[in-house]
Amino acid sequence: MSRGARIARVLLACVAPVMLTVAIPFVNRIEPRIFGLPFLLAWIVLAVLMAPVTLGIIFRLEGRAKG
Amino acid sequence: MSPALIALGIVALVVGGTIAFALAAVKRLSHDPHEYVVAGRSFGAFFLWLLLAGEIYTAFTFLGAAGWAYSFGAAAFYILAYGTVGFVIGYFLLPELSKVGHARGLLTSADYFRDRYGSRALGVAVGALQFVMLIPYVTLQLTGLQILLTIAGYDAYNATGGVAIAFLLMALFVFTAGMRGLAWASIVKDGLILIAVIFAGILIPIRFFGSVPAMFDHLIAKHPQMMTLPTTFTNHSVIWFVSTVLLTGIGFFTGPQSMNAIFSAKSGDALRRNTIWMPVYQLILLLVFFAGFAALLVVPGMKPGAADQSFVLVVQRFYPSWVMGFVAAAGVLGALVPAAALLLGGASTFAKNVLSDGLGIATADRQQTAAMRISVVALAIFALVLWLVYKQTLVDLLLFYYNGVTQFMPGLVCALVWKRVSATAIGAGIAGGLLTVLTIFLEHADPTPWGINIGLLALVVNVVIVALVSIIRPRTVAAPEV
Repeated sequence: MSRGARIARVLLACVAPVMLTVAIPFVNRIEPRIFGLPFLLAWIVLAVLMAPVTLGIIFRLEGRAKG
Repeated sequence: MSPALIALGIVALVVGGTIAFALAAVKRLSHDPHEYVVAGRSFGAFFLWLLLAGEIYTAFTFLGAAGWAYSFGAAAFYILAYGTVGFVIGYFLLPELSKVGHARGLLTSADYFRDRYGSRALGVAVGALQFVMLIPYVTLQLTGLQILLTIAGYDAYNATGGVAIAFLLMALFVFTAGMRGLAWASIVKDGLILIAVIFAGILIPIRFFGSVPAMFDHLIAKHPQMMTLPTTFTNHSVIWFVSTVLLTGIGFFTGPQSMNAIFSAKSGDALRRNTIWMPVYQLILLLVFFAGFAALLVVPGMKPGAADQSFVLVVQRFYPSWVMGFVAAAGVLGALVPAAALLLGGASTFAKNVLSDGLGIATADRQQTAAMRISVVALAIFALVLWLVYKQTLVDLLLFYYNGVTQFMPGLVCALVWKRVSATAIGAGIAGGLLTVLTIFLEHADPTPWGINIGLLALVVNVVIVALVSIIRPRTVAAPEV
């Protein structure tokens, strides 16, 4: 895997965990509500959905690197 | 027929049917420990999915997550968050662990420590500790069982006898069918829980409030402070949330029962695909929160521990007994199947690492399988007795388990990435971490100083010790290559 691909892999992997930890103080609010959910809950749902997206991209990157 | 008989009858039929189905699917009994504990390392993506998802769909999920939403509001969201962190870590870690397991013929988590650090003493110590830690996690499932059976019996019966019968039946099932049987039973369990949760999280809010957004309108009007986290330095605050998500996310796969599932994988890609998609499956928890919030508005005023029963009580009061029966049956399987996985994880660790490696008893394959089977039943009885005398609210126990098992993480990871780390370093780190947790528990000190989860502090102590010992006294003999 190239250096760029390796850095991209680390950054992508961090997206969901960062959204669910260090970002929490900044999204700890009710408004704006999204699909009726309070903002904090909607943000957590979004973060959960980011995990398959980012891991899926990493899976593709690795597949290409393997051969 | 009384509603209690209808509901309990459905529970009994579903549990009996699931066990019969799984036994029929397994067909033959094996005396090979590799078949019994890790199903001959034959599981592809589908069965792995069911085993790894076992952590998500437990009775705790069903009752505890709803109870937390009811009592503590936004703090409950940590349950949705930590699994996701766990799966992201798992994507990178699990294939590596599985590879070592294949190459070295490992069965248990303690095997991994023994093999990678070349120390029988470390393997025995890790095995014994994990065995002890599993017990509160098993009793957690029993508390869930009791709540469900009491409510399904419309409070007319003492559920303790029912809990004992159901649990011992499950122990006999694991005794017979091992890992392969567990995987088949998980199919029924996951299917039923999925249906029950969709019912509870969508149909209950619609019936009482018209829609889920309308329910949140009511919630925000009545309990606005519950929809965000307090910004103080206390329990259930922002800092608590962040530290707990980190700790429990790291600990997500460090339990000995998870290691059995990881070693049963056919390939690394089967594990990778699973960890990619599992967070989506986990979103079902959202519906459990909805059910808990609906219960808060419909049957208000319950105390934190009692709130674990809240949404099942809504079902009991407002829905026909057959609905109650199926919801309770889903929950009962959600307690029994994960409890069975814990029994297998605990018993295989005890027989393999403590009896065989530690004391030199039952070292041949056939004897080892027999020892594992007997340990399953012994562990079940032991957990049952402990549970009868010592009970606590659901989540307190879970956090105790996580505080403990997370301390094995440095050992799992260092063997893969840092060759200087010796058995002494890992052993000292685990000891330091566990003593930190233990001190807090024994001194009855605040388990969340400044709002920080104590398990995370313990993990920091652990990592610092591992690093210091490794720098001062690096290991001399390398582990066998894989």
